[in-house]
Amino acid sequence: MAINLSNSNIATRENRIGSITGYIGTLKDLATQSSCGTLKGCSRCFSQSSTCLSACGLSQLAAIRDVAIIHHGPAGCSVTGASSYYMSKVMAKKRGVTSDTVFVGTDMNENDTIFGSTATLKSVILEVNKRYSPKAIFVSSSCATGIIGEDIDSIVDEVRDEVGVPIVAVHCEGFKSRIWATGFDIADHAVLQEIVQPPREGVKSNKINFKNFFESARPEIIEIFKKFDLEPVFLYCNSTVEELSHLSESLATTCICGTLGNYLGNALEEKYGVPYVRSINQCGISGYEAWLREIGKVTGRLEAVEKYIAEEREKWLPQIEEVKKELKGLTAVLGMGPGYTFEVSRVLDELGIKVVWALAWHYDKKYENGDVPPSMQYLLDNDIDFEASVADQQNYEVMNILNKYKPDMYLSRHPGSTVWAIKNGTPAIYVADEYMIFGYKHTLEFAKTIVDAIKNRSFEENLAKRTKLPYTDWWYQQNVDEFLEEAK
Amino acid sequence: MSEIRQIAIYGKGGIGKSTTTQNLTAGLVEHGKKVMVVGCDPKADSTRLLLGGLAQKTVLDTIREEGEDVELDRIMKTGFGGTKCVESGGPEPGVGCAGRGIITSINMLENLGAYTDELDYVFYDVLGDVVCGGFAMPIREGKAKEIYIVASGEMMALYAANNISKGIQRYARTGGVRLGGIICNSRNVDRELDLLRAFSKELGTKLLYFVPRDNVVQHAEINKKTVIEYKPDSNQAQEYRNLAQAVIDNTDFVIPTPMTQERLEEILMEYGMMELADDYKI
Repeated sequence: MAINLSNSNIATRENRIGSITGYIGTLKDLATQSSCGTLKGCSRCFSQSSTCLSACGLSQLAAIRDVAIIHHGPAGCSVTGASSYYMSKVMAKKRGVTSDTVFVGTDMNENDTIFGSTATLKSVILEVNKRYSPKAIFVSSSCATGIIGEDIDSIVDEVRDEVGVPIVAVHCEGFKSRIWATGFDIADHAVLQEIVQPPREGVKSNKINFKNFFESARPEIIEIFKKFDLEPVFLYCNSTVEELSHLSESLATTCICGTLGNYLGNALEEKYGVPYVRSINQCGISGYEAWLREIGKVTGRLEAVEKYIAEEREKWLPQIEEVKKELKGLTAVLGMGPGYTFEVSRVLDELGIKVVWALAWHYDKKYENGDVPPSMQYLLDNDIDFEASVADQQNYEVMNILNKYKPDMYLSRHPGSTVWAIKNGTPAIYVADEYMIFGYKHTLEFAKTIVDAIKNRSFEENLAKRTKLPYTDWWYQQNVDEFLEEAK
Repeated sequence: MSEIRQIAIYGKGGIGKSTTTQNLTAGLVEHGKKVMVVGCDPKADSTRLLLGGLAQKTVLDTIREEGEDVELDRIMKTGFGGTKCVESGGPEPGVGCAGRGIITSINMLENLGAYTDELDYVFYDVLGDVVCGGFAMPIREGKAKEIYIVASGEMMALYAANNISKGIQRYARTGGVRLGGIICNSRNVDRELDLLRAFSKELGTKLLYFVPRDNVVQHAEINKKTVIEYKPDSNQAQEYRNLAQAVIDNTDFVIPTPMTQERLEEILMEYGMMELADDYKI
């Protein structure tokens, strides 16, 4: 789908790329149906709360250094700003840089809702600009301002010359999509609209745009890339506006998670011809190698990459093979975002662990370029199949699955999810850090972590004995899809 | 003391809701009734004829300028025959949310104790169609229990009336709101009386009153008066008194049965065209 940067309002994932939040079946069916276009999402007649796209999108932007996020909405809607603010400060500290990013709410009240409050918004923008001198300003709508149709675009246009830094309207009404990852796209869209500049003439770059969450493997990846005379530009955590303005000059864009990076990667390719690396992700051996080779290919460094792979294989594969002996025959259930769940499923398969069920918190039928996500394609090509479902963190479905399949382990990337598994007596692995399975080294560590988790299960067993979960026996006896409604 | 009859007046924009409501109010006053009129339109022109001009500050403007600690007499003025007049007000065209404004101002009126026991009638004069939840506020939460829809024989007026009935039907299921009838504010179109009777019957209600067209209404409006005040002896003044009597006597309150667009068009075909209707010469 063509990316339209002239409109500040980007369509939701559901509309743009046919994403769904309700499905139960098998991986093969999911992938086959999405490639032939017949996949339809189901709704649920009972649904637990999920996450808001606004928090997701604005936390991405708030991670950029020295910018201002102005959230036009009631104070309660701006409350997620606190955690975004905190996170951006912690991440800057961790890397040893400073970030003067501010997160400001306009504190809309009843009168503002009735009469509109674009005048207040304007004065807040000007005051924030004066007081904090941010390098860029993101002006976000909220549910309340979205419903009453506050014209934030016009205000942004009005003050643009006066503020003198990039300023952009970000349309973040939480209700418009069930899929919080729409927030990632909204953040990308804002950056692409106002921050990214056309490439400067004559500038020769050896940079690779690397979209990730918290850049925890930054030093390590810088070292790896040095071997190929490449330099990663991590985004958006701790990015500077200056760095982002030159994304169009890079040799390629890659990402740690297809869900996170797909919109930006495709847009940079479409608009500026920066190749987007569409391999499976860097988790596990096959992923790491496929990714490196793709980078080698698009940057003309394949020979150096092959040499590196050969050396590293020698060093790491025997160690991984050794640990694999302890993992053979184990079973796993996992629940993650779609960018990770099918990648981690692949790694588990590589390690000899049998995936009995994979839940994706949503599923994108296709990516911006129209293809089925590479992780799915890989599993299909390699004839790997298991039961799969799409559930936006519907914990009761996870618990039903864990009780039915009684796997050796549960893996999740989202806070809280693993806690429930542990209380249920299932050993759980919290794949929190996006680099936890990155490359050979971390694949080995990941394998060892699994061994640790399943070897001594007394913690989970004892906790489960003393914990009463709220689910009834009735629920555990139902099919997982009990509350799923027929696809329309 | 009998319960206050709270009445909401709906209808297509420009159909004459405010004019009808105020003239009806004047008629009720002559019958010795105590009436309050609450204008629920951002234009704040629902009480102009009773007050002799746009004479008061709206509830929302008052809240905005003076805060929420306002006294009732700041937002309520006394008009013709002792009627109590309130204008909800609202934002400038194209900004904010007028629907939310109505919710806020009606809540404010309740909190301030505007609905006193000596009142016999409260009228809510609501803007145009029931476009969102805010404009349905007067018929929610046990406020107006009676609704009259002002219509004429024109297609779009009936279309709007049918649409409004859908809103009434929705709230009638959970609350006590009922449709009291259709008031025809005549536009002198073909077979208007028959058409309105047939339309009302299809909606499961009745044509409460047929107000004929008379230029004196226009004259009274220019003079910022109701017809009853401006020309008490005119025929039209008597029509409004009769309308008031019809409202007083009305005991038929129904849950409307809105029709499909196709059925509405059938009724229009059947009643809304006279033979040689197209042969219209100026």
